[in-house]
Amino acid sequence: MFLAILILLLLLFAAVRRVNVFEAFRDGAAQALPLIKTILPTLAVFSAAMGLFRASGAEAILESALSPVLSALGVEAPLVPLILVRPFSGGAAVGALTGLFQQYGPDSRIGLTASVLLGSSETIFYTLALYFGSVGIKKTRFTVPVALAAMLTSVVTGLLFSSLFFGSR
Amino acid sequence: MSIVILFLLLAGIVTSLFLGRGGEVLSALQSGAFEAVENLLRISGAYLLWMGLMNVAEKAGLISALSRLLSPFLSLLFPRAGKAKNAISLNLAANVLGMGNAATPFGLKAMRLLNESNPRPGIATNEMCVLLAVNASCLELFPATLVGMRLSFGSADPMAVALPTLLSSLAATLVAVVLCLLLTRPCSSQS
Repeated sequence: MFLAILILLLLLFAAVRRVNVFEAFRDGAAQALPLIKTILPTLAVFSAAMGLFRASGAEAILESALSPVLSALGVEAPLVPLILVRPFSGGAAVGALTGLFQQYGPDSRIGLTASVLLGSSETIFYTLALYFGSVGIKKTRFTVPVALAAMLTSVVTGLLFSSLFFGSR
Repeated sequence: MSIVILFLLLAGIVTSLFLGRGGEVLSALQSGAFEAVENLLRISGAYLLWMGLMNVAEKAGLISALSRLLSPFLSLLFPRAGKAKNAISLNLAANVLGMGNAATPFGLKAMRLLNESNPRPGIATNEMCVLLAVNASCLELFPATLVGMRLSFGSADPMAVALPTLLSSLAATLVAVVLCLLLTRPCSSQS
């Protein structure tokens, strides 16, 4: 409902502004191809490693070993890989998210929480490397600690808001 | 990243060998990779659709409209942005609208312009650090691609995550902005 209205307003606005909607739509969609092409290898490596880790039983062993720590922190074990890879690799994070969607379903508590965690954080180390690398900056001063603090905040608030919004599911 | 992947692979192989499942290692790896292709195919519809629509929004001038709204607030965070100010506000506007792809060229342009007036090449200026910190906290009004990904996995309520995601990224952005303001402003007692 909300999305339908949003798209309707966008299309009307674009038409009024004399945008060639078809061409703009197609050119934008064309930009998705390089994205899909770049994330596939990362996604495949991560999913293969994660698939082996799960099938071998190592995941279950580590989960039961870590469960006291994780439950004290309020983190569900299946979310840990997503949280760990998120700052480093967007492709791997999407791999972790889609893996959880497939295993638990997008409307399960884990699927919902994983969505919030992914949606409210950024691939910080990639962005930092890209932006600073583009102008040859070697000393990044307080950027990394601030970015990590923001990342940590999004994990804590992501878990908090998820349990507030989806606690009953 | 490399450590995470290496750990998953080594732990997986060693556990398999210990539990006498060594023969299943290759099939587990391969079905993982196959799953990646399958899942990517599943979400690529969402990528194509939303990046198309976002380009329509960009061509209609949505980014520059929002960027004009944002620019009065920017002097607080970027007092010495100079001629990079326009690129910075376009970058932040595109990020807020969830158009990561459109945001990157503006961000790189802002970095280049900031670097032109950098008195100490190779060392980040305050403006650069703040731009990166705000970019790293990812404030997004509406997580369109995420909602699309949820939908492509058969979610009955793909929009359910929009509000908690917004609140959580808002909190992260606030932390980043406050920390930046504290770090870039000299203490009044020192002056």
